[in-house]
Amino acid sequence: MSASFTKSTARNIFYGGSVFFFLIFLGLTVDTTLAVPSHNAKAQLTDAAVRGKKIWETRNCAGCHTLLGEGAFFAPELGNVYVRRGPEFIKGWMKAMPTNVPGRRQMPQFNLNDAQLDDLVAFLKYSSQINTNNWPPNIEG
Amino acid sequence: MNGQSLELTAAPPARHIPGDLAMWCFILAELAVFGVFFLVYGVYRRQQPALFAEGQSHLALLLPTLNTLLLIAGSACMVAAVKRFALDRQAAARRALLLAMVFGSGFLLCKLYELAGKFMAGISLSSNDFWMFYLSLTVFHFLHVVLGMVIVAAVWWMARDGRYGPGRLDGVETAAAYWHMVDLVWLVLFALVYVAR
Amino acid sequence: MSNATVAALPASKATVNDQIKYRSQAVAKPYFVAAIGLFIGQILFGLIIGLQYFKGDFLFPAIPFGTARMVHTNLLIVWLLFGFMGAGYFLIPEECERELYSPKLAIITFWVFLVAGALTILGYLGLPYNVLAHLTGNDLLPTMGRGYLEQPLITKVGIVLVALSFLFNLSMTLLSGRKTSISIVMMLGLWGLAIFFLFSFVNPNNLVLDKYFWWWVVHLWVEGVWELIMGAMLAFVLVKVTGVDREIIEKWLYLIIAMTLITGIIGTGHHYFWIGTPGYWQLLGSVFSALEPVPFFMMTVFAFNMVKRRRREHPNQAATLWALGTGVMSFLGAGVWGFLGTLSVVNYYTHGTQLTAAHGHMAFYGAYAMVVLTMISYTMPLLRGREANSAAAQKLEKTAFWVMTLAIVGITLSLTAAAVTQVSLQRLSAAPLSFMETQQHIMPMYWARFGFGLCFFTGLMMYVTSFFVTGKRES
Repeated sequence: MSASFTKSTARNIFYGGSVFFFLIFLGLTVDTTLAVPSHNAKAQLTDAAVRGKKIWETRNCAGCHTLLGEGAFFAPELGNVYVRRGPEFIKGWMKAMPTNVPGRRQMPQFNLNDAQLDDLVAFLKYSSQINTNNWPPNIEG
Repeated sequence: MNGQSLELTAAPPARHIPGDLAMWCFILAELAVFGVFFLVYGVYRRQQPALFAEGQSHLALLLPTLNTLLLIAGSACMVAAVKRFALDRQAAARRALLLAMVFGSGFLLCKLYELAGKFMAGISLSSNDFWMFYLSLTVFHFLHVVLGMVIVAAVWWMARDGRYGPGRLDGVETAAAYWHMVDLVWLVLFALVYVAR
Repeated sequence: MSNATVAALPASKATVNDQIKYRSQAVAKPYFVAAIGLFIGQILFGLIIGLQYFKGDFLFPAIPFGTARMVHTNLLIVWLLFGFMGAGYFLIPEECERELYSPKLAIITFWVFLVAGALTILGYLGLPYNVLAHLTGNDLLPTMGRGYLEQPLITKVGIVLVALSFLFNLSMTLLSGRKTSISIVMMLGLWGLAIFFLFSFVNPNNLVLDKYFWWWVVHLWVEGVWELIMGAMLAFVLVKVTGVDREIIEKWLYLIIAMTLITGIIGTGHHYFWIGTPGYWQLLGSVFSALEPVPFFMMTVFAFNMVKRRRREHPNQAATLWALGTGVMSFLGAGVWGFLGTLSVVNYYTHGTQLTAAHGHMAFYGAYAMVVLTMISYTMPLLRGREANSAAAQKLEKTAFWVMTLAIVGITLSLTAAAVTQVSLQRLSAAPLSFMETQQHIMPMYWARFGFGLCFFTGLMMYVTSFFVTGKRES
């Protein structure tokens, strides 16, 4: 078999292919951005949930936990913790940390006040309402 | 193929591959993408035969059949263009390229009309699994026809100063190979999504 | 370039280095030294968190896991960036056949980046994260607290400024110099890196969109534009050590990165399966990312082919070994281990498990750590005034290569075993165990991972030592 193989064709395929597929990706991004609200019609992004998201971020929760499977793999998935444990358990748990059990993984005490705890719970409630296409496979996350 | 092709000079003269090897790599990648797509389509269809049959019943056959003919006509034009460039019939060859683009445009117009009807009916990627496949496959292929036309247009434009001729056919052959790939994918897509019910 | 800027070079060792073609290439040296220093820091924090996996209260509350992990991942990014920048400052003048536009700016940028990086790490370790966020203006524009993008707002702005200074310097060099494919691909990659980093400032309140655009930084970096940088660096070193015709290497470079972007851009969809995005991403993400191993495989074949067809025996054998290693390990880590969990039907069970960690470790090491080490291995002897290191130094460097690489294989296999256990007990089981119960069953794998981590650290120390082996018995 013989064939020509030129740098200019390879270069054109690189530029053309990249632009072509990036434009498709942009088109899909527009479609996704438009479809996200109806896909997640049940998810209530309340003001409290927005404040809770800031608490989630500024305490670096994703440094240990996953949320919808993304984050760190040191501590349990929290996307569905609202369903798994319920609001009161979450607040009580946050207040009781750290357990100081020797050798066990420790979660820091973040000293959140009651209003902040409510906001965080609102955020976790919102997370649990997101339509994840039935992920995780079971309640344990 | 990657490695050996570099050492071709040592090999005895054998069959000639038309066009550029880089384009053949690209074509292989594209065929792999579509191939996996079709495979997954088959799996989903097996799982939900009723849903797919219902979806297919909303697809008219006349326009896609016409489209098939248009693309094949385009392919024939590309073959003609290569042959005419090989004989150094520059004007006739460029006319064939132009005609290929006319057929391509015809395909795009028919396809746009069909897709517009579906969008008007409120069908989107998220409607159900059948429409997800229908839209992603046909739109993805549609964009390949657009890309194919851009490539043919580039060849047509560059051919104006007699760049292609006997022994200098790589550019035209490369474009033709891409067009044939787009055509081939459509034939499978047409059979799988429209005809096989 | 004026004489004043030449004088600003760290050229106190007045003896002319005839191994580098352009004096300004010497600015790469501090970048590479900093990269290796930060690499050591990254591994030390990696050992801390590796230990915390089975001895949960280690260093608690002084350095909680979340903080140490953040330091581990951020140091990784920063040292790789230092490596890319050093590579850019070395590679672009050489390819463009002219001195760097402004070596002085390159040195200023180096110190700004190093000090900003060090202050950020000190901030992580010395302040509660929310206090750091408050002090650094996170209330104005919340961007913190998302994986890899934990940096305070002012650090992020600093990174943008550093990147602009770096890109300005290199672009001005390129514009008035020889334009080769390698230098153009390198610059495209570096510009892409800077542009996609801007999405780190995008943090919608809607969690789904937040995650969607978070991947525009993370995925489009490591499975997109970074691969252009990696390809260009690898091609540059291969041109040098094999002596193969540049035309051949460059056309393969274009073809490989074309395949990378064709599969990788829409391949982003493999992150959009379960985060609240529409279901069609399961189809698109699976189809395109199933083909993502292809360019990595091509890269491996390419590296071996070029070395096989070499036209010269370069005395720097260690650099060749690193280049080949990059080909193989990036294919294994990014290609094979990436593929393991990429199809949506599999990912449904493996998403968010130790499989991601296994893939992440081997891919980051195999693709990016190794390509930077390849570049350092090739350039550092030149920057230190010799074509290659002594046989003794190279022997130690090659041993370090094998120790580190096999240690990463060990880490990856341990974490893969951990993932298999985790998926079967927590995800597939008819009576699934809780996350923490499952972790108890994985402890032996975490012990093994830590052991391999210690091996890796040993290899790294050997690598650092190889810089100080003079080997008087030079041939």
